[in-house]
Amino acid sequence: MFANSDARSPGLGDARAVKLLIAGGFGVGKTTLVGAVSEIKPLRTEERLSDIGASIDDLTGVDGKDTTTVALDFGRITINPQIVLYLFGTPGQDRFWFMWKELSTGALGAIVLADTRRLGDCFGAVDFFESRNIPFIIAVNCFDGADIYDEDEVRRALDIDAHVPVQFCDARDRRSSKQVLVRLLEHLMTTASAL
Amino acid sequence: MNAGKSLDGDDPGPLVRPFAVTRGRAGKDLHRLDILTLVMAARTEADTTGLDREYRDIMGLCQHRALSIVEIAARMNLLLAAVKVLVGDLIDAGYLIHRPPRPAEDRPDINLLQAVLDGVRKL
Repeated sequence: MFANSDARSPGLGDARAVKLLIAGGFGVGKTTLVGAVSEIKPLRTEERLSDIGASIDDLTGVDGKDTTTVALDFGRITINPQIVLYLFGTPGQDRFWFMWKELSTGALGAIVLADTRRLGDCFGAVDFFESRNIPFIIAVNCFDGADIYDEDEVRRALDIDAHVPVQFCDARDRRSSKQVLVRLLEHLMTTASAL
Repeated sequence: MNAGKSLDGDDPGPLVRPFAVTRGRAGKDLHRLDILTLVMAARTEADTTGLDREYRDIMGLCQHRALSIVEIAARMNLLLAAVKVLVGDLIDAGYLIHRPPRPAEDRPDINLLQAVLDGVRKL
């Protein structure tokens, strides 16, 4: 990507990277969704809690060593020669990504991935994005064997505003996951136009 | 594309002493590098023979393409804070050029959103 034919002075030109966040409970399929649409196999990176600005008070109950890390899985989609889109999935067993200001700062928007068998697992993510005014949609990952809920039931259970879209999906399926991204971006356009 | 740590199998985690490679200089991020700051070799085929291994590895990853800090960290299996220090050194020395990510604006950029939407629809 960002190929440049001038070998003497390769430049970054107008290149820029943008990001979307994918949050939700443990095992809900965040990295699966990232992998379904990413042009690279999802990668993992880690940061020490002390390097993301978490204070000691926040770490009550955490292993007291300063080597505690927060992990992130991510994928990439090259949108065009200027724009590369990164998709960050937050490992669900780890609540400390909420403290990672750098992660949410500048994010275009977010997907909260939900499992109807454990809707409560995504309350934290919904609260986080609402409180930071980061626009988001709910994507319900339809697992085999999960009860089928309709949109209104999910909406009521999560207590989300009427304007927040709810999209049903299969995170393993590329087309379905792509449709989740399209729905989010359409929502972001609508939200931005209304400002 | 398989140089990075994949998500298969046992995950050994980052290096035990991640700041050994930065000689203990954690957090000295003078360029305010973001996880999505893009970096690229300032010159193609720059002579990196005098550099330490980690610096050469970064230069190798960024030789012909722009790469984000977060992707460099994942592909080198280093903590983000360590990579920021190393990349900062390479910027200071003129080996790398960098570009910050989109600033957090009050008002979203409609043209940018439209471009991203168009790109995703083409997947």
